[in-house]
Amino acid sequence: MASSRGPRLSGMQKQVLSLYRGFLRAARTKSPEERHKIESIVSEEFHRNSKEVDRKNFLYIEYLLRRGKKQLDQLRNPGTTGLSSLAVDLSKTNKINP
Amino acid sequence: MALRAAVLRHVRVPIQTVPKLHPWLGGSLLRFMSSHDDHITKDEVIDRVLSVVKDFPKVDPSKVTPDVHFQKDLGLDSLDNVEIVMALEEEFKLEIPDKEADKIDSCHLAIEYISNHPMAS
Repeated sequence: MASSRGPRLSGMQKQVLSLYRGFLRAARTKSPEERHKIESIVSEEFHRNSKEVDRKNFLYIEYLLRRGKKQLDQLRNPGTTGLSSLAVDLSKTNKINP
Repeated sequence: MALRAAVLRHVRVPIQTVPKLHPWLGGSLLRFMSSHDDHITKDEVIDRVLSVVKDFPKVDPSKVTPDVHFQKDLGLDSLDNVEIVMALEEEFKLEIPDKEADKIDSCHLAIEYISNHPMAS
């Protein structure tokens, strides 16, 4: 079976992927223009963290997950049209990121 | 009283055994009743899955076959995998729950899942 070839996902990986999926789903509810912007920002952020963050740095990953969930809640609010307010938040924390 | 009993005996309806349907089978029965029945063939599913995967920016279209594994054969990561499954959801107008989506890591599994899904269109 092809499925057995894939790597097993840890609980934390599943949470990250689920959060990522949540962002992409939330992006679908916005205007096409905003959607595209949100998708590229979110994709960039997740891919960058997946390369830069040590996989064993659970505390930091948990922090990122919590922060991401809060941002996703904000994004899901129909009043939020885009990530502009959240992007500020992202860039701030990036500086702390070693 | 006798009349009531007689009537009741007469109109008694046998208890209908509701067959326990496999969720997908149940869905396909509902679909059978629906007015917009646009059933898709497995060949069509294969074609459309392959074209979604080929259109993915990081994928080399020449490597895409019905058996290709997203991460092992196409050099994608688990985040790209999520994006592909999301793109397939849109292509086939489905919503795939996280638990299922996490398992879909190859064209083969995507084709199986979608061609067995009653709501795929």
